Amino acid sequence: MNGLVTYITRRLGLTVLILLAVSFAVYVIFSLLPYDPAALTCGKSCNDPGIIAANRVRLGYDKPFWVQYWLFLSGLFVGRNFGTGAAAIFCPAPAFGYSFQQHACVTSLLGDALPVTIYLAVGALVLWLIVGVGLGIVSAKFKGKIWDTLSTAFVLVGTSLPTFLTGLMLIIFLVIKWDGSPFPSDGYTAPEEDFGQFLLSMVLPWITLAFAYAAIYTRFVRSQILEISTEDYIRTAKAKGLSDGVILGKHTLRAALAPIVTMAGLDFAGLLGGAILTEAVFNLPGMGRLSLTAVVDIDLPVIVATTIVAAAIVVVMNMILDIAYAFIDPRVRV
Amino acid sequence: MSLLSVRDLRVEFKTPDGIVKAVAGVSFDINEGETVAIVGESGSGKSVSNLAYMGLLPASRTTITGSVILKTDEGEVDLIGMDNDRLRKIRGKDIAMIFQDPMSALHPFYTIGDQLIEAHQVHNSVDKSASRKRAIELLSLVGVANPEERLAAYPHQFSGGMRQRVMIAMALMNNPKVLIADEPTTALDVTVQAQILALLRDLQKQFKMAVILITHDLGVVAGAADRVNVMYGGRLVESTGVNELYKNPLMPYTVGLLDSIPRMDQGHGKRLRAIPGQPPSLIKLGEGCAFAARCERKSELPEGRCDVSPELNEVKAGHLVRCHLYDSKGAAK
Amino acid sequence: MLKGKKTLKVALAAIAATTLASGLLTGCSAGASAGTITYLTVQDSWTHADPQRNYTGRDIAWFGSYLNRTLTAYDRAPGAAGSAVVPDLATDTGKASNDNKTWTFTLRDGVTFEDGSAITCEDIKYGVSRTFATDVITDGPTYAIGMLDIPSAADGSSTYKGPYSTDAANDTASFDKAITCSADHKTITFNLKRSVGDFNYTTTYLSFGPVPKAKDTGDQYDLKPVSTGPYKIKSYKAKDQMVLVRNTNWKADSDPLRAKRAFPDKIVVKFGVASEVLDQTLLTDKNKTAVSLDSLQPTNLTAVFGADGKPVKKYADRAINVYDPYVTYTAVNVKKLNCLPIRQAIYYAKDFKGLITLLGGQALAGDPADGVIKPLMGLDYAKTGFASEDKDWKPEGNVDKAKTLMDQAKSECPALYARVTDPKQGLVYDAPDSPSNKNASAIWIAALARIGVTVKFNFIEAGKYYAVVLDATKQGDLSRAGWAPDWANASTVIPELFTKEGGFPMSQNWDDPAYAAFKQRVVANLSQADRKKQGAEWAALNTYAMQQMWVIPNVFSKTQEIWGSKIGGAFFWEPQGSLSFGDLYTK
Repeated sequence: MNGLVTYITRRLGLTVLILLAVSFAVYVIFSLLPYDPAALTCGKSCNDPGIIAANRVRLGYDKPFWVQYWLFLSGLFVGRNFGTGAAAIFCPAPAFGYSFQQHACVTSLLGDALPVTIYLAVGALVLWLIVGVGLGIVSAKFKGKIWDTLSTAFVLVGTSLPTFLTGLMLIIFLVIKWDGSPFPSDGYTAPEEDFGQFLLSMVLPWITLAFAYAAIYTRFVRSQILEISTEDYIRTAKAKGLSDGVILGKHTLRAALAPIVTMAGLDFAGLLGGAILTEAVFNLPGMGRLSLTAVVDIDLPVIVATTIVAAAIVVVMNMILDIAYAFIDPRVRV
Repeated sequence: MSLLSVRDLRVEFKTPDGIVKAVAGVSFDINEGETVAIVGESGSGKSVSNLAYMGLLPASRTTITGSVILKTDEGEVDLIGMDNDRLRKIRGKDIAMIFQDPMSALHPFYTIGDQLIEAHQVHNSVDKSASRKRAIELLSLVGVANPEERLAAYPHQFSGGMRQRVMIAMALMNNPKVLIADEPTTALDVTVQAQILALLRDLQKQFKMAVILITHDLGVVAGAADRVNVMYGGRLVESTGVNELYKNPLMPYTVGLLDSIPRMDQGHGKRLRAIPGQPPSLIKLGEGCAFAARCERKSELPEGRCDVSPELNEVKAGHLVRCHLYDSKGAAK
Repeated sequence: MLKGKKTLKVALAAIAATTLASGLLTGCSAGASAGTITYLTVQDSWTHADPQRNYTGRDIAWFGSYLNRTLTAYDRAPGAAGSAVVPDLATDTGKASNDNKTWTFTLRDGVTFEDGSAITCEDIKYGVSRTFATDVITDGPTYAIGMLDIPSAADGSSTYKGPYSTDAANDTASFDKAITCSADHKTITFNLKRSVGDFNYTTTYLSFGPVPKAKDTGDQYDLKPVSTGPYKIKSYKAKDQMVLVRNTNWKADSDPLRAKRAFPDKIVVKFGVASEVLDQTLLTDKNKTAVSLDSLQPTNLTAVFGADGKPVKKYADRAINVYDPYVTYTAVNVKKLNCLPIRQAIYYAKDFKGLITLLGGQALAGDPADGVIKPLMGLDYAKTGFASEDKDWKPEGNVDKAKTLMDQAKSECPALYARVTDPKQGLVYDAPDSPSNKNASAIWIAALARIGVTVKFNFIEAGKYYAVVLDATKQGDLSRAGWAPDWANASTVIPELFTKEGGFPMSQNWDDPAYAAFKQRVVANLSQADRKKQGAEWAALNTYAMQQMWVIPNVFSKTQEIWGSKIGGAFFWEPQGSLSFGDLYTK
């Protein structure tokens, strides 16, 4: 177990370094973009060079790149003041910046958006794992039979239908055209506000998002099971006289766990960066919408923050997966 | 009545290229405490014939006919056509198996304790602790040091030879009547091979099991088996006692197999030879002698003789051979 | 995308009378005080909610109806009557003196913020001061900066930098002189640097409304402005919703404009609705008390409006198709195209029919424009004799006429003729980079090819478009543009577009021989006291500009509005170019 502790500690340290590198890379990339951050903060219709110049000084964009990056980094730890005088706004740590387009500290925008996306992603993950793994098992078990054919059809539809179309069809038929539909037509309700409404408002987004993923997972789980079924240790299990159920449930699925967990972990991490189409169709104020709006409006601090957060989620998820691997696969532990 | 009696076993696979006649009418018997080696090249049907009646071949693509009668405590049963649930209760209990590659044959994610105990639990309604005791007992029996500690270890923490010992222990958890050892030493170092073979031999006596030793290597058979069945093209081509076989091999294929292994009793003078040619395709197998194309003594037979399939004849007591060279119409010696 | 730099603002379209009518209530009576109205929009938030930053007609109409009062306002009435200025916080529409350089307004009794505190002159003065903080209070109209009598610095900016500046040199003293308050805090006086006869139109902008200094949060005031109207913000969250509830401190008798018209108990704005969901919600009447803040998608418009542009029976009483305040046109860079016959040839060769078809047809996209003043501006508009009224003009283009003009150009201005007909050079046409403009470019190229003129399109990133083309050194020969007046006076059109000092001088026409006389008439007309005469002169100058072909007008564009079947009181409020939101009620 000491080895495990060392392993996890080393992995955590590495993750911190990667995050630092990611933040730096993102910062560099966006500072190379042909956008003048000072011009962008002076309003949508602003082309007054005097105001732009004043903003540049006021917001520190006149400082050398390293100083700006340092201010950004230190803001993450101690907070930061944006602007000067009576109109200055202080964003407490971790301060990712201030969005002059949304009039809020970027961190609070992230704080609003991230839970929504987490709710969306967690619900969808649970749903698609249940459906995808379930159908994958059924499909593999009845390979070549009608159930397999039906689930193959499901896979085809699920992987070829774009999310926004699935979502739109669900909304139009289950919300708008169905009188007395229990599902709300007006977007998101926070769980702390009204938990019942929250669930109702999330059901269709979950289904929409899970639909596409479930199809992919069905195919993946099916092929994993079929592949593992040809392994020698499955033949051993059969030779022992174990029932098909035990062989599938204990031996085959256990072996399929690692690849499924890896895939689910990375997909989940990707989703936490935002499920743009689903969020847009269902009007969920999550990370996807936050990034999308930021890109459309060229809201640089928000773009930088959402990019870093999305990358950080993937990096952290990779770390979690690596650590989880040590628990899933005993061979990794040595 | 012998312990296990295989009669006219035929196994066919449906493949996109056609029907593969993997086993084309095999019959043999095995008695309690006896070891029968089944020898042949890959594709000769030696493994398939045994996997087939164990129900370990994919049912959807396989047709099995014939009969395999096993003497059990509840009387004689035919394993062919038995429903899967009953067969399952025989697998791992009356008939156990060990396989070629002990690394891949053990589940990498479970401790060997888990896997051993599971093998016991599935056929015995006893406490886990009883199964655990049994596992420890067997591990020490197969020569695993510190068996109690090693129960918590994973397969990858064992060496190849040790893994095979674990496999053997697992196979013996339920005192099987028959142990099918499918190439049990092929993946192991030569020194380890001998140890495992010796272990098997010991345990066979101790457990009074019948052992079916499947191998491509006549070399391992010498000290290990009582009787040898040589298979070629899905059929038995020669069957006799192990000493007789080494002394007096008849079928040119058997002769070829013997020539391809180093032999202590023939000194250094003789060079090892491989059998020329390839094993036959089991799809296009025609009417004639399957070995004809590779047979070096074909010329001794009259023209057209090899277009007829030879029968398995007892040419002397306990020595059966399927070869025109030794049948009534053959080129009489 | 084709609109002028003031795309963010929509202003007056029509006016029938300059009579500064008092707040006579018209057009509504059936409303009941109850219910919830739900506004739906694809936008993630309001462009701005801060009164000093609100600049689009729709937003001003909405916030002005419910939350933010100003000194004066447009009357809430259908048709031309809506463009009349009426008092709001003030007791009248202002008193001008000193040759229209001094304007005085007196506050009504009992006007308060949502916390019940009285609105004083100082609050309005503070509100106006925020306009000067252009670094913080961005995007807002800057009339106060342009009009108030405060000196300019060397770089042309105001010496007063607004209330947030910590600069010791900030010229607060001049601002304090430009706006003065009476001792009883009820009378506010604006001292202007030039005479502005219609300053009380300017004060209809919410940027002339009050802000309590203690509640000012700078940039973040945009998230929760303090209400002065019949409702107040209960919650406002971008990408989610805004909820308005009644402002219990609002006194109906202090607000004749909104009294008896504050119908719904609750107003909800749903942001970020997917456009197809929004359209379907309204088309199927799913939410019967919903109102769309956006236009339907083109594909859904045809379900609502027939070929004649009128709503089909099913939607007859809950949809309208009307002129919006915009005129779209092609600005001609007269400095480069200094040859009238060539400009005329382009005008005749243009394929209006092709372009309007691309936009969805005349019934919904709009009618051929005959100048830069829209017919809605009743006092300022007169037919110019161009476009539909021009017997030589054809919707698909009059190639023969254009060719004749080109022949004339060949002898009159051979150098330019050679350039525009040279396939290697030709004309450069600036347009914002968008799919629709790319489609339109093909029509232009084909149309002018018929008379041997080559056009090359210069697509400019949409967000930078006007910054580029308003730079005289970067502008091409022709540039896509559009304009809406700031208020119902073509003084916010003709001088803006066609004088060197204007805010949108894309025609660069000041070197044209015809400019000097034109400029003289413009200056004279700006101080014309008789509004009718002034209007007639604007109409004449519109015709004059057309005769010089300083622009090639395109479309008097239209807009479509749709609302739920249980919404009553809807009418198009012409000065703001939107529904009169404050008059809506639930049936």
